[in-house]
Amino acid sequence: MASKPKPLQMALHKVIMVGSGGVGKSALTLQFMYDEFVEDYEPTKADSYRKKVVLDGEEVQIDILDTAGQEDYAAIRDNYFRSGEGFLCVFSITEQESFAATADFREQILRVKNDENIPFLLVGNKCDLFDKRQVTIETATAKAGEWNVPYVETSAKTRQNVDKVFFDLMCEIRDRKKEETAKPDGKKNKKTKKEGKRKKKCVIL
Amino acid sequence: MPKEPKVTGLSPNEGPPGTKVTIRGENLGTGATDLTGLTICGVNCLLTAEWVSPSKITCKTGLCKGKGEVIVTTRSGGLGTCTVTFRGYVMQTGPLEESAVWIDESTTTDKRGRSKSSSALFRKNEDPLGMSMEGKGKFPIDQLEEMFPEGSGDPSNDKFLSEWFLIENHHHTSFEDLKSGLSYLKRKSSQRSEGPLAFMKGNLTSIMDCQDALAAMHQDLLKDESTSEGGSITEKLESLLNKANDSANAMYQDVLGRKDKADATRNALNVLQRFRFLFSLPGSIERNIQNGDYDIVINDYAKAKSLFADTEVQVFKRVYLEVEKQIEAFRGQLTEKLMQLPSSLDEQSKLIRYLMDLGAPGDPAWDCLVNQQKWLLQLLLDCKEEHIKQAQSAPSVAGSEGDTPSHTPLKYRPSVGTPGSVFTPGRSSVKRMPSFGSTQSPDQAGWKFKTPQRVQFVDDLTDVLLENFPDLWKLWEGYSTGSLLNETAEKADVANQEKETQFKKMVEEVMAVYSKLLRAAFLPESLSSSPEERIKYGVWPEGKYDNMAHWLPQFVRTIRSCYGTLSGMNLPDETTHDVRDVAQDTRVHCVTTLLQQATEDVKALNDRETWTVERDDRGGITTLPLLFENIITELIQHLKEVVQSRAEESEIFRGADTRIKVSKLCEDMLSAFSVTMDQLAFRTDTEAETTCIASDSLLPTSQQPSSGHDELTSPSEHIPPLERRLVIVLSNCSHTREKVLPKLIDLLEKNGYPEVQKVQKGSQSCFSGLDEKLFDAYLEQKADPLVGALEPGVYAGYFMWNDCLPPRGVRNYVKEALMNLIAVHAEVFSISPLLVERVLSRLLQALAEEMLRLMECVTDWSRDGAIQARLELCALQDALALYKTPESSKSFHDALQIVPPVTSAADRKNLEELMNKFKSNMQLQLTCFRSDSLKRTLV
Repeated sequence: MASKPKPLQMALHKVIMVGSGGVGKSALTLQFMYDEFVEDYEPTKADSYRKKVVLDGEEVQIDILDTAGQEDYAAIRDNYFRSGEGFLCVFSITEQESFAATADFREQILRVKNDENIPFLLVGNKCDLFDKRQVTIETATAKAGEWNVPYVETSAKTRQNVDKVFFDLMCEIRDRKKEETAKPDGKKNKKTKKEGKRKKKCVIL
Repeated sequence: MPKEPKVTGLSPNEGPPGTKVTIRGENLGTGATDLTGLTICGVNCLLTAEWVSPSKITCKTGLCKGKGEVIVTTRSGGLGTCTVTFRGYVMQTGPLEESAVWIDESTTTDKRGRSKSSSALFRKNEDPLGMSMEGKGKFPIDQLEEMFPEGSGDPSNDKFLSEWFLIENHHHTSFEDLKSGLSYLKRKSSQRSEGPLAFMKGNLTSIMDCQDALAAMHQDLLKDESTSEGGSITEKLESLLNKANDSANAMYQDVLGRKDKADATRNALNVLQRFRFLFSLPGSIERNIQNGDYDIVINDYAKAKSLFADTEVQVFKRVYLEVEKQIEAFRGQLTEKLMQLPSSLDEQSKLIRYLMDLGAPGDPAWDCLVNQQKWLLQLLLDCKEEHIKQAQSAPSVAGSEGDTPSHTPLKYRPSVGTPGSVFTPGRSSVKRMPSFGSTQSPDQAGWKFKTPQRVQFVDDLTDVLLENFPDLWKLWEGYSTGSLLNETAEKADVANQEKETQFKKMVEEVMAVYSKLLRAAFLPESLSSSPEERIKYGVWPEGKYDNMAHWLPQFVRTIRSCYGTLSGMNLPDETTHDVRDVAQDTRVHCVTTLLQQATEDVKALNDRETWTVERDDRGGITTLPLLFENIITELIQHLKEVVQSRAEESEIFRGADTRIKVSKLCEDMLSAFSVTMDQLAFRTDTEAETTCIASDSLLPTSQQPSSGHDELTSPSEHIPPLERRLVIVLSNCSHTREKVLPKLIDLLEKNGYPEVQKVQKGSQSCFSGLDEKLFDAYLEQKADPLVGALEPGVYAGYFMWNDCLPPRGVRNYVKEALMNLIAVHAEVFSISPLLVERVLSRLLQALAEEMLRLMECVTDWSRDGAIQARLELCALQDALALYKTPESSKSFHDALQIVPPVTSAADRKNLEELMNKFKSNMQLQLTCFRSDSLKRTLV
């Protein structure tokens, strides 16, 4: 009844989980969403989650798109990325390859979004398994510094830093949106461009 | 308050129909039963929903297309909401893609060749009149459908009706607006028709450029062609294209080959699926056979037969062959089972029906009949073997018992019930032999009360027959009437004639074997004497045969009940002839044997005479006649059942031979008693002595103290002197003749024994003969001394008739004779008063004759002598007047004639006085004769 108009007004932040297969994207998501840790591994195709959260006293909605890490789905990632407003790029600290792959994801996101400053967090998951660590904090931090993004280590199992990464990202998205509405340049221009494109009718030879 | 369900997460968020989706959220129900609804994109998926927890449900998507919400409804929270969306799409598996599922390609439409339906005048959601369609109330569709039943408001539809369209979309539009709309439409259509031209106009320069470029290209090409070596450029191009085609082919050959393979596999799968029934049939048949679901097997087989029996397809042929093989084995199994006996009729008919349903070759029912008959025969023979073996294993007992056959049988007849009643108190020789009893009685008792093997055999044999034969017959009835198998009803009719005679023969065989076995057991002499046959039907050890007699009635009963049952089954007459004959023969045999037995028993009665005379008003008899009567009555009672004919049987004494034989036996039996009595009466004393000694010697010394009483009752003590014996036997004899015999004859007649008259005559004559003999013997015993004493008595003291003293009274010899007569009288009277007159009158006769002879011898009479003689004769005559007979009277008369008459009155007076004196003196003695007469008058 009264709740219907509310979501319309409520801010919606679209977060996309990226990263290689098996690094714990879904685990992070489910831990964040439902406070549960899923032990059994089932490769994700594309999962959607959305819920209300309170961000700095403000009620907002977070929309999480949990994507497939497997290379099989690489081709359809473009579509997903396009709708994303912020990205959690996850790797497993116990797996060097997954860390290496973050570069590719970063590259792809930048290509699709065409925006260097897109909200982006580098997340080193499975930090509870420190005895199996392959990626040092230094390496990861260095990489994050290179990209000018924050680096956070998490554990979906212990829920360490789980809320932090999502809320940090949401803050960034929110700040970013405020920025955009404040000075209508750059991004806004892009938007108008897009709109213009849409209006122009296709001409078929 | 429970909150409404809310879906906040989907994994995955898109997929083709059938995708398994994990739905996460809040308040998704308190349990599986709380979940009442689940829709994905509006498609109900409740059926596949699986409730995991209040925050998790899994389900499979239905046939949904496009984006849509996932709505969960619970009983506790009602209709829910959703924050995420699911996108359904239909995935088309192309020919080059791998697929885990079978794809029906027949419905796949190749869209490549089809032109897009883009020729539609207007895009959807765009009003052809150039006006916004949003924001205005639409006209309800159902009303429109009523108005224009066959129309449509869709401009792209063939049945498009402008009225519909206008009412639907523009019933609020003003006329002015419609007018401008019309002009917009006109403009549009004119634009469209002159479109290409306008385009040409608008791009004239570009088009010219293109044309120029094309011309230049053409020239270049021509130049190339003319300048290049090795043929025209098109040739090169062609070869290049061919090469490209080849390589493309090579590239795709693999793929195409795989597709072909895949197609073939799919085809095979399809065939397997469609004809799964056939392919899985061997397995299912085996399984069902194991489970005993024969009906299913039969159905399956019938189905397979109708579907695939004439198939040309190799694969089917092979599988069908396998099925056939299995069914063949199954048939074999069933047949084996059918041949396995014993089994119930139901079971058999079920099996037969199965076999018929399975199309078994031949005639299983008939085979079953033949088999069962053979089995039954074997069973009968086996029964015989077993019993013979058992009988032979205990021959010693039979032998020892066989040594003393004569008196046991009737006592132990099971049907008599109270064998003690047959015993007489005095006849206790067996009882008085403890040593004999203690050593042998257990065995004997064991044997006595144990049914003899032969009787058991007959019972068992009959049981076997009656248990199994009805099944056989019922099976035949079912077979012949076709009720066994509905579908063979007509067939049975054809087979009937031939089979019926065959079956009749079979039944006859069974009956013949049965009856021959019975004959072998009880009537071995009635079998043919060929040794093989004797052996076939069993040779019974002979020892016990004599003791069989009292079992015979039971045997007869068994056989007759068997015959009754058999004839109750409506068997054809000729088949049961054998059994009937056996029944008949056994009855006759039974009767004759028992009659013989009774004769033996009667003959054995002489051992049981106690000589204790029991008197009644008619005369004294011993228990012997009673025993005799008992034996006969009991026998007749016993045979009553045997003799009586049942409805289905013929009269037992029908045959002339039988009649003669039986009547002879009856006569013998009755006459045997006379022989017995004869023996009793004339047994010499020495004989009695030896018997006594024999029995005494058997007494153990330990028994001496208590034997004092025994000695008193011992037979030797009891055997009275000859005269007494004679009288007793005579009394018994007459009693038997007058009382017992008519009773027995009557009984015989009532029970339908043949030629009773003859029997009566024979036995009567026998008894009267004995009576005569006894009587004569007795008279001889008595009359000789009496008569012999007369002559010395008359002439005692040198008495002379012509020279004697005047008579002073009756002389002593008369008194002596009278005293003797009184002694005889007493003796006879003590035993049988009825005999007194007969005896005394005969004695009187003898006396009178002797007196006459004496008188005739006298030549010279004195007066006194004449008086004396007359006195004595009169005294005698007077005293014994009661016993006078015509003969004695005549003798006395003649004697008195010889004696000179007494003429003088004084003499006459003297005579009278002397007579009175005699009477008064002898009154006491004479009363004895009188009292007899008094008694007789009283009687």
